[in-house]
Amino acid sequence: MKTLILGIGNPVLCDDGVGIRVAREVSKRVRDPQITVAEAYHGGLFILDAVLGYDRVLLIDSIQTKEGTPGEVYRLRPGDLSFARHLSSPHQMNFITALELGKALDLPMPERIDIIAVEAGEVTSFRERCTREVEQAIPVAVEMVLSEFQASGKDEG
Amino acid sequence: MKKIMIDPITRLEGHGKIAIFLNDMGDVANAYLQIPELRGFEKFCEGRPAEDMPQILQRICGVCPEAHHLASTKALDDLFQVEPTVTAKKVRELLYSAFFVTDHTTHFYILAGPDFIMGPESPVAERNIFGVIRKVGVELGKRVIQTRQQNYWVIETIGGRGIHPVFGLPGGISKGISEENRAKIEEIAKNSVDFARLSLKIFDDMVIKNKEYLDMMLSDTFTHRTYYMGLVDDQNKLNFYDGRIRVVDPQGKEFAKYAPREYLEHLAERVEPWSYLKFPYLKKVGWRGFTDGKSSGVYQATPLSRLNVADGMATPLAQEEYEKMYETLGGKPVHHTLATHWARVIEMLYAAERMLELSRDPGITNLDIRNIPASTPKEGVGVVEAPRGTLTHHYVTDEKGLIRKCNLIVGTTNNHAAICLAIKKAAQDLIKQGREITEGLLNRIELSWRAYDPCMGCATHALPGQLPLEVKIYDSDGHVVRTLNQFDS
Repeated sequence: MKTLILGIGNPVLCDDGVGIRVAREVSKRVRDPQITVAEAYHGGLFILDAVLGYDRVLLIDSIQTKEGTPGEVYRLRPGDLSFARHLSSPHQMNFITALELGKALDLPMPERIDIIAVEAGEVTSFRERCTREVEQAIPVAVEMVLSEFQASGKDEG
Repeated sequence: MKKIMIDPITRLEGHGKIAIFLNDMGDVANAYLQIPELRGFEKFCEGRPAEDMPQILQRICGVCPEAHHLASTKALDDLFQVEPTVTAKKVRELLYSAFFVTDHTTHFYILAGPDFIMGPESPVAERNIFGVIRKVGVELGKRVIQTRQQNYWVIETIGGRGIHPVFGLPGGISKGISEENRAKIEEIAKNSVDFARLSLKIFDDMVIKNKEYLDMMLSDTFTHRTYYMGLVDDQNKLNFYDGRIRVVDPQGKEFAKYAPREYLEHLAERVEPWSYLKFPYLKKVGWRGFTDGKSSGVYQATPLSRLNVADGMATPLAQEEYEKMYETLGGKPVHHTLATHWARVIEMLYAAERMLELSRDPGITNLDIRNIPASTPKEGVGVVEAPRGTLTHHYVTDEKGLIRKCNLIVGTTNNHAAICLAIKKAAQDLIKQGREITEGLLNRIELSWRAYDPCMGCATHALPGQLPLEVKIYDSDGHVVRTLNQFDS
C-alpha cells in the first residue's frame, strides 16, 4: 500500500510548525519503502496536489479548538472536522474542500486519510521551537503516528 | 457608533476581518481591513547570516514563497555587490514565470472564479469551486489541477525543492538546467500558453460579454483613481523579475521611475493605531488619508497597476490581450478594481509566453550559473513583482554579513490603503440607512477587495474550527442586535 505521511505547518511560526517537527522525527524511524514521509508548508489545494496517487495518507497538523489545551494530541478522520465544504480556511480553501474537489474531478485520491493533530498554543510569533507544552507533545504524536502503521501491518499480516 | 464585523474573510489567501462602522443614522462612516499580527519577525532575523534569508523569509508568507525567495536572493546580489551571470538571471526568471502561471491560475479559478463564473448574486451553496466545476465542466477543472501540478514540477526541478526553492545564491543559482528537463519545461510552457488563452476566452465569454458584469466592473462603486506602481524593463514593458519601479499618476503620466535601492526616497509608511500593518504611500505626494485622486499619496500595486504603468507587454499574445482590454475599458489607465481579474489573466498568458521563450533560449542550459561574491557586505535591496504587488526586501548587515536590520514591503501591504478605500466605497454605496443588510450586499463588498487577492502575510496553518462568515450588527451602545451567518443552513 503506497502511503504518505505528511507533516503540515510553518516551521518558523512556533506551534504552527509542530506537524513538520513530528514528521521529521517520524522520518528517522520509518524503514518501509512503501511509506513516504514528506513536509508541506501550505494547506488547501497543495494538500490535494501532495496526496494524489497514494493509497493511504496520514496528515500531521496543528489544530486550534475552542476548549482545547495546548499539547493535546488528537486522532481524527476528515469527517471529524466541522468546517466541511465552507471555503473559509486561512488557506486558499480548507482541505476538506480540497479533498472533495479531488473526488469531484475524479482524480486518483487515497482510499483512506487519517489526521494526527496537536493542539497549538502560540501560532503568531516567529520562533523555531514550539511552546513547552507542544514540544512535550511531539514524542507522543510521533508514537501515535508510528503505532498507526504497526497496527495496520498486523491487520494486513 | 454601530459596528458591523465580517469575520472571517472567505476564500482569501490569509485571514483577516472587515470592520464596517455605521454612524447613528445607519450609514457607513468608515470601513477597514484589519489584519492579524504575526510577532517577533525583526528579532527573529537579527544576527542571522544574510545568506539564510532566502530560506527563512519565504516562510513568512505561505502563499508566495517563490517571490520572497527571489526578492531575497536579489537583495543578496546587491548586498554582496555581485552581478549574477546571464544564465542565472534567465533561469531565475524561468522559475518565476512558472510560479506566476500557478498562482494566477489558482486565484482566477478557485478564489475569484466563483464570483464571476457563478455570479455575485448566486446562493452561497453554489458560489464555490463545485459550482464552477458544474458550470465549466470536469475537464476544465482537471486542467486547472494539471496546470498547477506541471508548473510546480518546473519550480521543483529548477528550484531544487517544491514550493520553497533552495536554488538562489548571491551571484547566481546552485544548479543549472539539463537538456532533458529543458525539453519537458518547454512542453509545459506550451500547455500553459494554451491554458492561459483558454482562460482569457472563458473570461471573455462569461464576464466581458455579460452586460451585467461589465456594467458592474465599470460602475463607480468599484472605481478608484489612484497612482499605480510596477516593475518595467528598459523598454517600459512589464517584467515580474527585474527592472526599475515605475509609478504613474491617476492620468497615466509617469510620476517616478527609480532603481530598487532608491525606494525609501519615494515611499513612506503611515501607521494607524487600529492596524499593525503599515500603510505605504508616495512620499512626494503625501498622506491625505484614505482617499484617492492626484493629491493623495495612496497607490496601488496590483496586476492592473502593472499593466497601467507599462507601455505594453513583452510577448505578442499578451500584447494583443493588453490592447483589447484597454480598448474595451476606454483607454489607459483603467481605474476599475474588478478589471484586476482581467489583468491577472493577461499576466498569466504573459508568464506562460515568457516561460516558453526562456525554455527555448539557446543559453538556458549553459553552465555559467554563478559569479562568486568577493565584496564585504553592508546593505542590499531586492525587488520583484509578487503576484499581489511589488515586493521589496532590504537588509543591513555587519561586515560579517550578519543581519542587523531587515525591512520588507510585501505585495498586499502596498495595497492596504487602497483596499480600505475600496471596502469603504462599496459599503457606502450598498449599506444605506434603513436598508436590510443581506448576504448579497455583503458579497458585493467582498468583491471589492477580493480583486486585490490580499494575502495577509499570515502563514499559520493551524487547522481552523468552524469559521462561518459572520456579520454582527451592534447598536450604538455596543450591543449585538443582529447576527448573520453566511453559512447558516
